[in-house]
Amino acid sequence: MKSIRIFLLIALLSTITLVNFLSALHGYRASMAEAQRLFDRQLAATARLLVDMPVPDEPPLVVAQAEPLVLQVWSAEGEMLLRSADAPLQPISEFESGYREVNFSGYRWRSVTEFFPASSRWVIVAERADLRYQLAEKVILESVMPILLGLPVAGLLIWLLIGWGLSSLRQLAEALQDKRAEDLSPLPLQDPPEELEPVVKSTNALLARLRASFERERRFSADAAHELRTPIAAIQVHAHNLDSELRQYKLAQTPESLGKLQGSIERMAHLVEQMLDLFRTTPEHYPARFETLDLQLLAREALAEQYGAFAAKNQTVELTGTRSSVRGDRFALMILLKNLLNNACKYTPDAGRIEVSTTSADGGTTLRVEDSGPGIPAAEYDRIFERFYRVGGDRHATTAEGCGLGLSIVRHIAQLHRAQVRLGQSRFGHGLAVEVEFPQETAAEGGAGGHHG
Amino acid sequence: MRILLIEDDQSLADGIATALRHTGYAVDRAETGAAGISLAQAARPDVIILDLGLPDMDGVDVLKQLRRKSISSSVLILTARDDLPSKIGGLDAGADDYLTKPFAVDELLARLRALERRAGLGLSAEIQVGDVSINLASHEVTRAGESIKLSRREFTLLRALAERPGHILSREQLEDKLYSWGEEVASNTVDVHIHNLRKKIYPEFIQTIRGVGYKLGPAK
Repeated sequence: MKSIRIFLLIALLSTITLVNFLSALHGYRASMAEAQRLFDRQLAATARLLVDMPVPDEPPLVVAQAEPLVLQVWSAEGEMLLRSADAPLQPISEFESGYREVNFSGYRWRSVTEFFPASSRWVIVAERADLRYQLAEKVILESVMPILLGLPVAGLLIWLLIGWGLSSLRQLAEALQDKRAEDLSPLPLQDPPEELEPVVKSTNALLARLRASFERERRFSADAAHELRTPIAAIQVHAHNLDSELRQYKLAQTPESLGKLQGSIERMAHLVEQMLDLFRTTPEHYPARFETLDLQLLAREALAEQYGAFAAKNQTVELTGTRSSVRGDRFALMILLKNLLNNACKYTPDAGRIEVSTTSADGGTTLRVEDSGPGIPAAEYDRIFERFYRVGGDRHATTAEGCGLGLSIVRHIAQLHRAQVRLGQSRFGHGLAVEVEFPQETAAEGGAGGHHG
Repeated sequence: MRILLIEDDQSLADGIATALRHTGYAVDRAETGAAGISLAQAARPDVIILDLGLPDMDGVDVLKQLRRKSISSSVLILTARDDLPSKIGGLDAGADDYLTKPFAVDELLARLRALERRAGLGLSAEIQVGDVSINLASHEVTRAGESIKLSRREFTLLRALAERPGHILSREQLEDKLYSWGEEVASNTVDVHIHNLRKKIYPEFIQTIRGVGYKLGPAK
């Protein structure tokens, strides 16, 4: 069944037609029986009129009879006394009173045969049966015609009424369609019709269950990442101690494996931190505390904190622009800055350039982080926001260590602040420019899901 | 310097204690808040490294009790909790520093040295940056043995920069250091003092990171 509307339309029209047809059939039958009686009575009356017709001495008398009637009058002895011009010479029927159907002259006839004892004559009157049917058909047709003509009107009305009746189903469909993948709030359908109520109720119950299980999963992931911090710290300390203990033996060179071990610990620690940041910055669940902040000062703080990494790669970092106020959550914005700076540092080669700028305009405040790295092809812009996605797979051109969560975290935090994240070419010709545009202060008030937690 | 480590994770505590002993510190260990408090009273450590998630009580409560018992040891909170409220709560309760797990051991040691200096303890009262040495106790600065005369404000800025070598301090942070002397600071005061420091020591000694702040340059 492709469409309830078309199905109902066809079903209803068929039902209406069938019922009408049956009632027409019944009417036809009833009126045919009635007509038969009337016509029969008329035949009998004609027979009675004929019985007293004077008969000439030399029968039979042939009378002209224009109407589709044939007449015969016979004496009791079987002599033909009178006939109409079209009548056959033989008796139309056997001499026995009653109505019957007979065939002659190539037609079917309805006849009445009656014996009148007073004049001792048989009178037979016959009438063409098909003419009766023609009449009945005309009657039928006239009664059925309005129904046939009315069907399209009925169809149109039914079509519109079904459409109206199904409007709440359409609303439900639209409400479901408009839902974003991560939106698990209940359907907004107010007072749905009785038939849709179970659908809306069970959908909302399903959404609630999904929400709860997502929340459990998110919480578990965040807790797990949090719990991993202490053991990772322990591993880091042990590796550090191993390093200094080995130094005491004054080996010719530090074992290569130790460096690899420390590198791997670093990566694991980074991944766990990124996972924790990703899960706890989920816009719906982040317990944001919005305040008016100077984005330039935050960027300065973040740059100062991360400066060691830039210095290690001999990169030039600049912070330009003006003081730019945003309404935001300090902790989340620091995570956002940290990730953008971290990416810029990682994907920009040694001695490259990185410029961070903050500008304020009527539309809002914009943070730009530009680097002189290899950049990202525009075709990849959408994909790099996906979790664990890294341009070129794990064998990244710059061989930078990363886990592919940074931009997902950035997007979470941008959503939290109703900010837009745009990617483009940096002003260094090649290289990536990441732009985060925060709406005007008042617009960001509360933020997406900022009241939760 | 004597350090009390209050940390319930055995493996981590073992590692930290080993690292601290390698560095030359004396270390006492406690695995619960209660044990930590009694050890702090008995051993009178110079610095306490305090975990917040202890099995018997919250680290912040341990800290409050310590302060109530007038134990004035410097306290460094070492915790997996990195949210702002926890940080602010910890510092408000009287912690001197706050470091989150996971951490680099060198960072922990640098912070311990800073606490040590702040308390005017031990050998760490002297900071060495290349051939420049800065004595925090006597406020004497020498380069290759030659004494350099600095004003009080210049010394304050130099000390701030030298205390965390490699880190950038923004102009606001440096202004704060001057403010803490309770004086009015003109808008270009920091620039003037930095200029003087460069002239007196050597120009590349202090680097400017455009838009961000200042840091000590590569050691000579």
